[in-house]
Amino acid sequence: MLQVRNIEKYYGNKNNITKALDRVSFDVADGEFIAIMGASGSGKTTLLNCISTIDTVSAGDILLDGESIAELPSEELARFRREKLGFVFQDFNLLDTLTLEENIALALTLNHTDHKVVQKQVNRVAAQLGIEDVLGKFPYQVSGGQKQRAACARAMVAGQSLLLADEPTGALDSNASKNLLEIMTHINQNMGATILMVTHDAYSASYAGRVLFLKDGRLFNELLRGERSRSVFYHEILDVLALLGGDISDVI
Amino acid sequence: MTLSKLSLRNAKRQAGDYLIYFVTIVMVCAMLYAFNCLVFSKEIHNLSGLLDNMTLMIVLASIVVVFIIGWLVSYTTGFMLSRRSRELGTYLLIGLENKQVARLFFLENLSVGGVALLFGIPFGNLLYQALRAILLTMFSAPYHFHYRFSLKAIVLTLLYFSAIYFFALFRSRKRIRRMKIYDLIYFERQNEAELVKKSKTRKTLFVISIILGIAGTLMLMAATKLLIGVIGAGCIIAFIYGFFTSFSSGVPAYFERKPERKYQGQNLMIFRALTSKLATMGIVMATISLLFTATLLTEGAGMVFNGIFQGRLEKNAFDLLFVSDQESHVEQCLESMAEQIPLTASWQYKLYQGVDDSLVTYLEETAGYYPFSYSHDYNSGLFMAYSDYAALRDMLGLPIAESEPDHYIIHCMPYLEETLSRWNQPLSLDGKTLSQGRIYTEQFAQNNWNGNGHQFLLIVPDEACVSRPILRYAVAAMTEYNITKEQYETLQNSLFVRAMDGINSLKNDWDYMYSKASLVREVAVWSAMSSFPLFYLALVLAMTAATVLTVQQLSEAGRYRRQFELLRKLGMDSREIRKTLFRQLAIYYLMPVIPPVMIAIPFILDLCNAVEPGTMVGVNSPPVILAVSLGLFFLVYLLYTVIAFINMKRNVLPDHIS
Repeated sequence: MLQVRNIEKYYGNKNNITKALDRVSFDVADGEFIAIMGASGSGKTTLLNCISTIDTVSAGDILLDGESIAELPSEELARFRREKLGFVFQDFNLLDTLTLEENIALALTLNHTDHKVVQKQVNRVAAQLGIEDVLGKFPYQVSGGQKQRAACARAMVAGQSLLLADEPTGALDSNASKNLLEIMTHINQNMGATILMVTHDAYSASYAGRVLFLKDGRLFNELLRGERSRSVFYHEILDVLALLGGDISDVI
Repeated sequence: MTLSKLSLRNAKRQAGDYLIYFVTIVMVCAMLYAFNCLVFSKEIHNLSGLLDNMTLMIVLASIVVVFIIGWLVSYTTGFMLSRRSRELGTYLLIGLENKQVARLFFLENLSVGGVALLFGIPFGNLLYQALRAILLTMFSAPYHFHYRFSLKAIVLTLLYFSAIYFFALFRSRKRIRRMKIYDLIYFERQNEAELVKKSKTRKTLFVISIILGIAGTLMLMAATKLLIGVIGAGCIIAFIYGFFTSFSSGVPAYFERKPERKYQGQNLMIFRALTSKLATMGIVMATISLLFTATLLTEGAGMVFNGIFQGRLEKNAFDLLFVSDQESHVEQCLESMAEQIPLTASWQYKLYQGVDDSLVTYLEETAGYYPFSYSHDYNSGLFMAYSDYAALRDMLGLPIAESEPDHYIIHCMPYLEETLSRWNQPLSLDGKTLSQGRIYTEQFAQNNWNGNGHQFLLIVPDEACVSRPILRYAVAAMTEYNITKEQYETLQNSLFVRAMDGINSLKNDWDYMYSKASLVREVAVWSAMSSFPLFYLALVLAMTAATVLTVQQLSEAGRYRRQFELLRKLGMDSREIRKTLFRQLAIYYLMPVIPPVMIAIPFILDLCNAVEPGTMVGVNSPPVILAVSLGLFFLVYLLYTVIAFINMKRNVLPDHIS
């Protein structure tokens, strides 16, 4: 569903150019769960921002369902984001002034969904993610795990086909992380959502079906889980990271 | 880095964040200084002895301003304190003492105040030049621009400013000294709960506040006694606070009952922006609303007073007029006039007693007949001979009034024209019947206390007057130039001295002298005395309220920015983002204006109608006064709103949208 073709991204001015992405290419098939790994500054988030149309590429092309997103006008991009993309951020990015229910409903109201449908949809997704009891609460009244599940709910409530997650477990304790990753696996396997997750945590990445490694803006390696168990895959990821020369404290 | 350098740097940054607040403080400083200059100016005092009263009014207004701005500074510093709690907490964390932090904050605010003074005084001097120019023009005195500072005014301004700042900073100092690091650093802002939770209490409060609002407005309108006025004002204050707390508490309840409503359009964002700070919002909105009410009422009152004086002035057409019941007095007066003042024209004439009081009775029954002052002699109306009328009209440069045989002419105040045209009754004089002829309404001194009639005058053919008793002798004159205050006083005194000689008692009950030039000066004094301090207060009130609103909005910029950044990521298009921001601001700025406008409209209209009819006409007619009062207010308010909106657009909207 997603094709990334030779994309490059530069920052800075004439005299001082930083190459954040350097000829990165890969394909994502429908229903895949992909993790993108790399050390800080390797270009993970830039890649995600380019795919999510928040940022533009300097060269290359990104095709979603065969359509090049670089050529879309900004109004179309906005429509594209609200209809096709779901976001999960490290710091949850929920609005403090809205209850969890309203935060989830936000994605639907932006689509001008009929208000009768809104509540039904929100309740359905919330039940799937186990947060139906806290829907009426404000973000500061619930735990980090619940916040992140609400963010997941928002990312899928409007039937978005691609879920983009930027370090979703970054602000969670290990228990909540495990819980969230299991939920994401559930969404991926049972609800057919395609997930693209940026992380520098090997444990989180081991939940994915495929891991892409970035180093200094270039695609360095790719690991497929295949039929292996999650713990075997986890150790393989650690091996690649050791090769990458990433800081070990970054990994565990 | 020393403490003072750190605080200076912070003050600079603060000035950027709170630019509008800073501009308001500079403006207030300028106004304080400019009005202080008026207080101390010898030149202004020499214009008229009556202006001493204006000085007193200005000092009183300035004291009120000191209180209002003291509140503004105290509110804003408290606000900054909560916005910067994390920064202040960090200072404590790295080892500064509470005392030192309090001093830092104190120095910071003092330097903001100091810079405001530095900008405000030179600007105030320019403002003073404008006030001077207005006053001198009102008194027809020559104006020359000069840029000189008044030391006394500077000292008084400093005094006012110290009062404002010490009051405000004393409070924040106390607050800082009590603060704990934990509270400062983990000062997480949470959503506020509604003030009135029970729906029944809320509804009762809402209904009671509306009733109080109506009652208060009516009481203010009907206030003949101070006590009723005070009770009325109290009712209005209770209404505004009751209205906003019950209303703001009612918003979440409404959406709880109709959850589907909040998911329509941009309702969700707007509703939550309103309710996130429900409790403070209710109180702040009410306070601002109250300030706006005070603004509109003072401004409206200023306009009405000004209108009254101007309106009375315009009625008087002759440069000099003398009326008496003794012919000798009139002759004596004309003699003195001719001796002392260069006259271009003069005319001596008589006013005759009318036939009966039927016309006055008719007017009293039908029109809002409103004799400025009442003398029973005039009850049956006044007659003037046509030849006198023609001569006086000629003197005033009015077009010739054609005399029709067997007709009488009416000369009246404009507001009586329609009623009198319906009168249409014949007049029987010496067995001769005259029918009603044309009606004229030009200014003819027909409104003076003892002038050419009480609001109306009947002009009859010369021969019809012969048998009528003479009620008044009069002389009207035009002068070569506007006579000075001294000339007028000399003229009055010379007549008085002669009277003392025992030749004639001039200070007779019915002796009445009038000079247009002296009236112009008197009107100028009254206008200046009533409208200057009132407009001064109104402007300060409006600026204070608008500043509080704007500072609050701008300081929310960070939260708004995060909100719109997220909405953009989630796919809200730029047009809709702008629309949402605009609606959020529009509601925020419109809400506190609604009750004041509802109160001010009937109040100002009623105040206009309390004056005798015919005074508030033309540019001073009630609709014009209302429109100008509201217009001036909204002009100031709009300025702040536009600045806030532009700033918000720049600070809040993601870069490529704004």
